[in-house]
Amino acid sequence: MPSRRRTLLKVIILGDSGVGKTSLMNQYVNKKFSNQYKATIGADFLTKEVQFEDRLFTLQIWDTAGQERFQSLGVAFYRGADCCVLVYDVNSMKSFENLNNWREEFLIQASPSDPENFPFVVLGNKVDIDGGNSRVVSEKKARAWCASKGNIPYFETSAKEGTNVEEAFQCIAKNALKSGEEEEIYLPDTLDVGTSSQPRTGGCEC
Amino acid sequence: MPPNSDSSDDDQNPKPNPYPNPKPSSIDQPLDVIENQLASISIVQPEPESDTNGTSPSKLTKGSLNENFGGDNGNLRHGNVMEKSSSSKITERNNSGMEDMEEPSSPSSSGYAGERGSSNGSSSGRAGSGIGEVDDEIHEIVNNNSLDGVLNSHVQWLPGKRHGSEDDASISWRKRKKHFFILSHSGKPIYSRYGDEHKLAGFSATLQAIISFVENGGDRVNLIRAGKHQVVFLVKGPIYLVCISCTEEPYMSLRGQLELLYNQMILILTRSVNRCFEKNAKFDMTPLLGGTDVVFSSLIHSFSWNPATFLHAYTCLRLAYATRQSAGAILQDVADSGVLFAMLMCKHKVIGLVGAQKASLHPDDMLLLSNFVMSSESFRTSESFSPICLPRFNSMAFLYAYVHYLDGDTYLILLSTSSDAFYHLKDCRIRVENVLLKSNVLGEIQRSMVDGGMRIEDLPDDRGSRSGAVSPHLGQPGHATYSSERFDEAFLGVGGPAGLWHFIYRSIYLDQYVSSEFSSPINSRRQQKRLYRSYQKIYASMHEEGIGPHKTLFKRDDNYVLLCWVTPDFELYAVFDPLADKALAIKTCNRVCQWIKDVENEIFLLGASPFSWWTVPGNTSLPEFAEISL
Repeated sequence: MPSRRRTLLKVIILGDSGVGKTSLMNQYVNKKFSNQYKATIGADFLTKEVQFEDRLFTLQIWDTAGQERFQSLGVAFYRGADCCVLVYDVNSMKSFENLNNWREEFLIQASPSDPENFPFVVLGNKVDIDGGNSRVVSEKKARAWCASKGNIPYFETSAKEGTNVEEAFQCIAKNALKSGEEEEIYLPDTLDVGTSSQPRTGGCEC
Repeated sequence: MPPNSDSSDDDQNPKPNPYPNPKPSSIDQPLDVIENQLASISIVQPEPESDTNGTSPSKLTKGSLNENFGGDNGNLRHGNVMEKSSSSKITERNNSGMEDMEEPSSPSSSGYAGERGSSNGSSSGRAGSGIGEVDDEIHEIVNNNSLDGVLNSHVQWLPGKRHGSEDDASISWRKRKKHFFILSHSGKPIYSRYGDEHKLAGFSATLQAIISFVENGGDRVNLIRAGKHQVVFLVKGPIYLVCISCTEEPYMSLRGQLELLYNQMILILTRSVNRCFEKNAKFDMTPLLGGTDVVFSSLIHSFSWNPATFLHAYTCLRLAYATRQSAGAILQDVADSGVLFAMLMCKHKVIGLVGAQKASLHPDDMLLLSNFVMSSESFRTSESFSPICLPRFNSMAFLYAYVHYLDGDTYLILLSTSSDAFYHLKDCRIRVENVLLKSNVLGEIQRSMVDGGMRIEDLPDDRGSRSGAVSPHLGQPGHATYSSERFDEAFLGVGGPAGLWHFIYRSIYLDQYVSSEFSSPINSRRQQKRLYRSYQKIYASMHEEGIGPHKTLFKRDDNYVLLCWVTPDFELYAVFDPLADKALAIKTCNRVCQWIKDVENEIFLLGASPFSWWTVPGNTSLPEFAEISL
């Protein structure tokens, strides 16, 4: 157990396959990018230590596979998440339309205590492609959707060029931290065996 | 078996050996050393291609969940989870440098980008060479065997976490023989025996994913075998416990150790911590466990020396009956004044134990409580009052423990159900202490600590016959009687009568056991640990399902003759010279049982349980045993 108080934040990355979830994470954690596409199998896990307002904390990033066949991983993966990142490809309308499904799926599976205010962050990735000429989802449209879902923070990113990646993850960390803080206060309430007549009941009387 | 006087089992900091190894006591030791050197050599290979992202400042660890891990053990071992590690910075690795490996080399080793698809060549090239285990026992050999015969002369086991800077990308971390992890059901790390919990967050997530994936299919994962490794899982509601071990301990033993680890946590927090997870799956319980690292590491250490951890019984300090009686009387006195339990202990051994009316203490709770007290340094410095939970008594509730050390090793624990009991318990302690001082019980305790318990050399002769002088090697029981000169030749350094080396006797009704002191040739820590592991293994096999009321076992292997005798009343485990004669060994076991009966009121706490009428069964013999040939 860490001697100094540190916070660990569980961050889940969701989105259609091929939108660049792994590349974004890779750019964020390793400052590396590869054009080669390797499908994530099941899930990948990374950790990164981040400093935020004089506090050190650890992001535990769950990079999930986008393919439908992995969705059976289900509730366990989403359980106890501090923040959920939804990623789409600005060059693919389908991946944008599916954001709604991803968000709902997450809320159902994770069933957070306060779904209205659960911190999401939306990333529109691959803005670099073709100088933006092949883009089919406008920033305006994306921002409108984010606004309609409770003002989800929105970033346009390029994992390839590193555009906005750091900023996006800073925001993810900040939101995750915020949602965690309310919960950190309480201690487990423990029973007192109490009255002197009771304590023997737990004992073995054989 | 002393708790703190020896080096740790699986993780001793290797020290350069000042003496060469002049007298290896068995042939496999030099081989081990060679093997270890080979392992070192193989890891030393520089791997320039892995250096590409070695300058990355970010700290990264990564595991990967393979979709078909469930069915294919190889994936776990050779997949991303376990195997990926490379570094060009560890060329200076040697026996003493394991824990000094630099972090910066670690992140690069699992280089997310670098290895993703493109670097399979480098990692598969390493798969065969790098996976040897860090055999800290081997280091111990180098340390200890040169000092053969000098007991406990080496480094003390140090409490607390070592190798805290390691993570799952460190080769040293991967080679540790026995890992323990506690994590939450959301995959957040709670405790790791080695390495930094936060850096292991990715690994923790992998473990959670494995457990949850199997659970999702309506099943449960208990054990994964991957080559030499066993991965043992224990799910306790929202708390997951995992042991990864290549120590070849039985599954049952490892699982039992996880249970104890869980209960140690419950002792600190109570099981009502589950409610925090019910309310909030994100709940991070590490702050609640702050500073308790040493409690867990000390418990894990005891898995390699304390038979109580698998016997589920406690042991007493050997004391004259009258001495224990006077200690018990004053404890009973305070117990009658509203104290739930009063325990007087010396290290891990019980001097006196009294429960209010019918309340009784489970031996596991005693083990965990004494471990908690002994491992927390602050208890030694002043009288303390602390909430604790006895998991086998009432896992949902806190009791309040007053703890006071009467001298260096002897401490008094008074348990109350009231959080206001401090002053009352303090008064009780003063009364107890006064009586113990006046009646010189403390002096007797000190003397017993020096004198030790039962020694095989002291095993009384069997009704005057000189069976001790019969050579076990020649296998002619009853015929070959040698002069004492000849006896010395035949028995030079091979233990007590009939080649008896050691025994453990467990009384079922008393929940107590007694084990003999270590004698020659079980001198070194390594030999003691090997003996311990043999007991553990044989105990597990004797307690597999389908066992009858009587069971005997005679087993001869390269190291020992092991003789076990399990009855409804007691269990005897005795270890002999590997060449010991069977009939003589059986006779000797009967003598041991008789001896225990003769001294039972010194070595056991009688009258502590409702079965105070219990005595060692009078007719102790192994009649059917001699006819079994195995």
